[in-house]
Amino acid sequence: MRPGGSIDRRLRISGVFVIAGLLIEALCLVWSRPIAFVVLVCIGGALIGIGVLFFLYSLVSSTVEPSE
Amino acid sequence: MPTIAIVTLVLFSAALACVLVVRPALTVSSTGKILAFGVLFFLPLFSLVAGMENQMQRSESTAFCLSCHIMESYGKSLYIDDPSYLAAAHYQNHRVPADEACYTCHADYAMFGTFKAKLGGLRHLYIYYLGKPPLPQDIKLYKPFNNRECLHCHLGARSFEQGATHNADPATLPAIKANTLSCVSSGCHDVVHNVGHWGDKVKFWDGGS
Repeated sequence: MRPGGSIDRRLRISGVFVIAGLLIEALCLVWSRPIAFVVLVCIGGALIGIGVLFFLYSLVSSTVEPSE
Repeated sequence: MPTIAIVTLVLFSAALACVLVVRPALTVSSTGKILAFGVLFFLPLFSLVAGMENQMQRSESTAFCLSCHIMESYGKSLYIDDPSYLAAAHYQNHRVPADEACYTCHADYAMFGTFKAKLGGLRHLYIYYLGKPPLPQDIKLYKPFNNRECLHCHLGARSFEQGATHNADPATLPAIKANTLSCVSSGCHDVVHNVGHWGDKVKFWDGGS
């Protein structure tokens, strides 16, 4: 693990959200019911959105160690 | 984009994200950083937009509208074997695309018509799942049917412009075009779906099979 191991943890959390959102999206795409669109946007979209935002947050909040 | 292609893209994105979750150390290299950006930013958002676009497209299909139990009898009305039933005559003779029959007549041909139709669909969903849905025969249009929706196809057509009934009175055709004389509620073409009023004598077309 890198010295700043927290970014690895944040990437993992972000990845888990994105994976969950994508799996819900895949299910909604093969689910031919009108509610599928709402589930896709409200749950899948929210999870993907949280994952992406968390990824961006992990980028801007990561500390770069000054080179010696 | 076809559904199968989007599902493949979504699963591929999820698989790549799994790789990053298991091996976050991949992002140490610059290639890994680019991969992380693609997998955790670009691909999920692209997949989401593609999925939503696919669902929006699907919501225009006849099968989608009829997938709600409450719409079953309206779907059945498209197969009534009687040309005086306006919806059935249009559907069976392909005057509207059979796979987008509901949407073709019930979406406004005006600016934001598609948007309004989709919003209306969301309202239907809310009522269907969280509200008290009316009986099929009690479903009414939100506002009187606008002739504009009929004229979108019929305007300029010989059968419409030179039809005997439409020209029996010189005031009729201008009134129809100005939407002051309704096509469907002025006693001319007022048998549309007539759900709940079919009686015992109504027959159904077998779909040509």
